[in-house]
Amino acid sequence: MLAYLLMSGIATGALYAMMAIGLVLVYRSTGHINFSHGELFMFGGFIAYTFFVILGVPYFLSLILAVIGGFVLGILSDRAVYRPLIKAPPLTMVLATVGFSFFLKGIARYFWGSMEGGDYVAFPAAMDPSPIPIGSIMVFPQQLLILAGAIVFVVGFTIFFRMTRAGKMMQATSENPTAAYLSGIRVERVYTLTWGAGSAIAAAAAVLMAPMTLLSPDVGFQLLLKAFAATVLGGLGSMPGAIVGGLLVGILESLGGGYVHSGVQDVSAFIVIIIVLILRPAGIFGVRNIRDT
Amino acid sequence: MKARRHFLSTMSAALIASMCVVGAANAEVGVTDKEIKIGALGVLTGPLAKYGNTVYDGIETVYEEANKSGGIHGRQLVYVREDDRCQAAEAVGAAKKLIHQHKVFMIHGGACSNASLAAKPEIVATKVPWVITASTAPSLTYPVTPHIFTTMLAGWMESYAQVQYAVEKGMKRVAIIAQHDNWGRSRYDPLMEAFKLHGIEPVANEEIVPDPADATAIALRIQAAKADAVILIAFPKAAVVAVRDMYKIGYKPFMIGGSTVGDVGLFTKNVGIPGATDNLHAVSTIGYAADDPAVAKWKKLVEAKYSGDTFNIYHMFGIASGQFVVEALRRAGKDLTRDAFNKAASNLSVNTDVYGGPITCTPTNHQCHNTAAWFGLVNGTTKRLATTIVTR
Repeated sequence: MLAYLLMSGIATGALYAMMAIGLVLVYRSTGHINFSHGELFMFGGFIAYTFFVILGVPYFLSLILAVIGGFVLGILSDRAVYRPLIKAPPLTMVLATVGFSFFLKGIARYFWGSMEGGDYVAFPAAMDPSPIPIGSIMVFPQQLLILAGAIVFVVGFTIFFRMTRAGKMMQATSENPTAAYLSGIRVERVYTLTWGAGSAIAAAAAVLMAPMTLLSPDVGFQLLLKAFAATVLGGLGSMPGAIVGGLLVGILESLGGGYVHSGVQDVSAFIVIIIVLILRPAGIFGVRNIRDT
Repeated sequence: MKARRHFLSTMSAALIASMCVVGAANAEVGVTDKEIKIGALGVLTGPLAKYGNTVYDGIETVYEEANKSGGIHGRQLVYVREDDRCQAAEAVGAAKKLIHQHKVFMIHGGACSNASLAAKPEIVATKVPWVITASTAPSLTYPVTPHIFTTMLAGWMESYAQVQYAVEKGMKRVAIIAQHDNWGRSRYDPLMEAFKLHGIEPVANEEIVPDPADATAIALRIQAAKADAVILIAFPKAAVVAVRDMYKIGYKPFMIGGSTVGDVGLFTKNVGIPGATDNLHAVSTIGYAADDPAVAKWKKLVEAKYSGDTFNIYHMFGIASGQFVVEALRRAGKDLTRDAFNKAASNLSVNTDVYGGPITCTPTNHQCHNTAAWFGLVNGTTKRLATTIVTR
């Protein structure tokens, strides 16, 4: 039982971690929580659905196209919604991101909402969906793909941040936007890139997860909550914290659901988060305060 | 002489006019020589729009067929839709608009139970006949209101049918996987009542959220309880994850699904793993799968009339209800009044083209549909396996 629960917890936690990375990315750069992150995830999933299921494009190509689509959507959302409000009070930005989430949900519902007679669509697995043995347990190949995909994206983003000029500019902007601006970095462009990157990684997570569940316009909110829990648990603003937090939330849910009761599965992680925050308010990887631009 | 003639002609005109007015006052609201105006009350926009529009598309298709064959005693049926957005406050306004502005003869519709319950007092006060199509709250028709009927199974009936079916199949160790949100509770509570009535205790009682990413923990707990049957009360999204994860761990109990997975073919496609739903039997309000040749006529008509629609169970809710209303209007006679309609509907049994049993109303029972049908896969095709007459 433990092996099954750990495997499921890690696979689900990897998804939470990917979502959390996108949240942290935007938060670190802009100081804002993107409350439309769940809907960007959902939209990325539907972009992949369009390519994979409707147009018959291969799964992995659909994944790449969804990531590109997510990136473009992130950039568009920055230009259309967030940039005009860049100097607005934080509450305005909260409302803007919440409003944008409803907008995306409405668009998704209009185009994909009743394609299969329900408010959800099935997203076929990338490979044979039958479970396969790994040691003493059975797992879905898609679960392994989620793990592999999460590792690839986390490593990829780490390399991007550490090795590329754009990544370093994003890091510098997140550390100190004013200093970054004075040293010639076009901060607004970095923000745009950040929204795009956050949205792209959400799209990747959606394409990995969709074959395990069904895809619906409302799928994003629950994931946003879990990702938010992961970032708080790991330490708001910490990239390693997002990864560890995501995995911990996934594992705690799984163990709580298995050993205590299924009724606590959804809340077990939040209970632990409350305890952690009482003992360590900044989260496991507590980070410095984000400075305002 | 001239003045007298003028007086007489004026009086005659006034008399004729007053007779017309009296005649009009005696005619039933929403009924003319040429048409009967019927109102649809339900969700037409927003996330749940399909629960309204699709049902009403089914009703309107039946009306159109009746109109093509000359109407009801020469009158064409006109269907006016008002949106309650699945919200109580909106439903009251929509009901008032139908009754007082559109001046409909009757209301034929009702999707979300909370909205229908909110609209009920206005409909009761105005005594407008109301045939409910999709709302499942039992208090809409019990205790009986003389002019309110339903052609949908009440929420509790599905749960009772699930327990009854488990017992009929000889299952000894029955487990539950249920959502505990508002929708889930409306089925879970009657389910527990039914367990009690049959004198059995569930061996495991697990909770699932509507949007789970994983249900391995639930599957393991039920497997550990050695359940030979599992009753599912969950939306398709949750049920898909639960069924997949039970299959993943190699656990294959007899699964008794609710109406949310009643389209077993579609659900199997959503699960996406060959063999994972072989042991699933699911209850449904309707009597035929959407691709069953027995309902091909209606599928063709609906899809031709509404190019965006793919024929499904919601259309069938509307078709069954529409056939009941058309027959009740016929039986009410040429001199159609609301009282005549209520009387006809209260003493009517109609074998529709799409339900597994007749819609039967009596003066003391306006919960007119009580036949639950069971579906499962036979050689890869969704088939009706049995029917259950549900009683409390």
